[in-house]
Amino acid sequence: MKQAILLSMAVLYAANCFAQVPSQRLARAESEPSAWITYSGNYKAQRYSPLDQINTRNVAQLKPTWIYQMRNSGIVETSPIVADGVMYITEPPSTATALDLRTGRPLWTYTPRIPSDVIIIGSPPVNRGVAILDDTVFLGTVNCHLIALDAKSGIVRWDTVVDDNRKGYYITAAPLAVDGKLLIGVSGAETGIRGFIDAYDAKTGKRLWRTWTVPAKGEPGAESWGGDSALHGGGSTWVTGSYDPDLNLVYWGTGNPAPDWNDDTRPGDNLYTCSLLALDPATGKIKWHFQFTPHDVHDWDATEIPILFDAQIDGKPRKVVTMANRNGFYYVLDRVTGEFITATPYIKQNWTDGIDSKGRPFARRDADPKVEGTLVYPAIAGGANWYSPSYSPKTGLFYHASREMGGVYFKGDAEYKDGTAYTGGGGESRNGDDAYGAIRALEGTSGKLKWEFRLVTPPMAGTLATGGGLVFAGAEEGNFFALDAASGKLLWDLQLGAPIRASAMSFAIDGKQQVAIAAGSSLFVFGLP
Amino acid sequence: MRLMRFACVPISLFVTALTVSAQTAADVEKGRQLFLGMCSRCHGATGNGGEGPPLTRLQRAHNDEELRAIIRDGIPDRGMPRIRRFTDAELMEMAGFVRTLGQASGSAAMGRPENGRAVYQKLGCASCHIVAGSGSGFGPELTGIGARRAPDYLRQAIVDPGAALPRGSAIPGRGFSEFLPVHAVMQDGHEVSGVRVNEDSFTIQIKDVAGRLYSLRKADLKQLDKQFGRSVMPNYTGRASAAEVDDLVAYLAGLGTQGDAK
Repeated sequence: MKQAILLSMAVLYAANCFAQVPSQRLARAESEPSAWITYSGNYKAQRYSPLDQINTRNVAQLKPTWIYQMRNSGIVETSPIVADGVMYITEPPSTATALDLRTGRPLWTYTPRIPSDVIIIGSPPVNRGVAILDDTVFLGTVNCHLIALDAKSGIVRWDTVVDDNRKGYYITAAPLAVDGKLLIGVSGAETGIRGFIDAYDAKTGKRLWRTWTVPAKGEPGAESWGGDSALHGGGSTWVTGSYDPDLNLVYWGTGNPAPDWNDDTRPGDNLYTCSLLALDPATGKIKWHFQFTPHDVHDWDATEIPILFDAQIDGKPRKVVTMANRNGFYYVLDRVTGEFITATPYIKQNWTDGIDSKGRPFARRDADPKVEGTLVYPAIAGGANWYSPSYSPKTGLFYHASREMGGVYFKGDAEYKDGTAYTGGGGESRNGDDAYGAIRALEGTSGKLKWEFRLVTPPMAGTLATGGGLVFAGAEEGNFFALDAASGKLLWDLQLGAPIRASAMSFAIDGKQQVAIAAGSSLFVFGLP
Repeated sequence: MRLMRFACVPISLFVTALTVSAQTAADVEKGRQLFLGMCSRCHGATGNGGEGPPLTRLQRAHNDEELRAIIRDGIPDRGMPRIRRFTDAELMEMAGFVRTLGQASGSAAMGRPENGRAVYQKLGCASCHIVAGSGSGFGPELTGIGARRAPDYLRQAIVDPGAALPRGSAIPGRGFSEFLPVHAVMQDGHEVSGVRVNEDSFTIQIKDVAGRLYSLRKADLKQLDKQFGRSVMPNYTGRASAAEVDDLVAYLAGLGTQGDAK
């Protein structure tokens, strides 16, 4: 008996027990593929696992390793963090849970007290995951707190109010740990918040800086708003960004201007909404910005994941940041300067006649919302949304779950009142037989279509690329499947029984590669037999 | 902007305090414009129904509060989406307009329901449809159909059944056409014809006229035709007289509308 205990302790110690994840470890996440220590797997946000044990030859044998069923109902968008034998997930709306990586058995769970009258307008009450730094796990909540939890026990170290939920601020994104700080964005443009990105001291929870995504009077960009419209200008920051440690720049997308579909009060480009911001993580200062959709009237947030990679373009080495934007275009930008390199439509769109040499679209004003409705491609949820694309450095391809669907956009009244909908209209997705989806492989440097795998409906689930030459993806009808990353050929699929609204990730335990994905109210982990 | 907001507060309080019936003609007109944009596609421009139920008799909304709740939240499992968030004033305007639909004269069915019941039997409709538990479940259930579909839609379903297949139920879901005719050819040449029960990107479930269920993997198929714009239901133009069609429409339109489930 004593021997057995000693042995198991030895095993646990060998696995390093609970997490110790210093900043340096985050910066070289690629060098330890058995772990998954940032939201997107690495700071480049590539959602690429170098693991190749599961590969094109054996993926057809994939079997469940364990399944964890959430205690809370609701949509599960979590992307797990894995470090040192433990998986950290979130459950809707704002619960963090640690699971034994071998068995899926819970080790601790923490649920904050969420007021019953919490204001969540603009999305379902979801959470996409935690961040980890040193021995602490960080959780954003729908009542707009950022909470630090002891990774060993789930006990609260600090609990900071990021902003006032009574005004509609809430958090669904996973924080990003950069250089001892926690960066977090907020949701709430549908209530007319003024968006921002915050940085907090990991040890104390004290706010170190705040960068507003909508300028105040007199600041650069203020002239791009009419009257006082910027006060409630939106610009949420509700999906986790990426980071280049060498350039020391954080890349973070911003959402729609408010009110979404009624632009009467906000003439101008409405900076910095629907933009990508490059920030100095030390100060939060905006080094450059690029606005994808100036004066957006369709709710096409630019909060999709910004993926970083280096590549030859026109014979020159370039450091790029790319985004498959909700507006239907795949963008390639120079991530040092923000210079526009190219943009290509990756879905059917009819709101612009094209994009100029600086990256500015020629927006068609006849595609604006009207009281009687305007049919526009793509629909409100866009050609892409919060779910993650992936990029494989092996193939140079960008793997995207594309949504092919039009929608009718309506313009309505907009009246600002704290904590109520400030949207000025809405839309109806044309989700019938004509709508469809596809997993598409785009050439990373150009957006040119390499292959596609058709889906019967537009997906709301991300992709994972792996060193085994695979792309994992999920369908709205509950199918989880693996494609050949080079050709798009279907190699394996399994019906999980409920819509997949999450992005897969991969890790290894006891020398065996695993792939995890949430579907319905369950988290599934698959490995080879 | 801030000043304007303060100015608006007493006005919105005033509007909230009003009952729907006390709305002005201008409010109802604004409600009509909202309705035409967002609702008329399924409920018809005059609310007499079509693909969606007529709104001249509100089956679910027993009072103004329930009506506003349905407009605000939709009925997702029945295919009615929440199209957008309304301001309180817009919600009142929309509900106010919907209330006026009950006062309009609907496109009443012209025929005689009692004759229509005999036509239903003569044409053998029960071989594919169930009314009040009797019949075969190959096609859509017609129990209470008059409460869910307008006479014009019912007529179209009889004389041009492929023109507008029903949509919006939980299965197959996602806005797919229900009862879509499909034809599958397997790799070995075996053929299956029937209606689509459900489908995902990898498999399809088909029911044939004999009620047999086929569960097929798409990778095993040589060919899969989804016959949009068609129905497996016969077109009764020419098979029934104009008077018989009128009577049948009147019979069906009466199902579920006068406390008559049959």
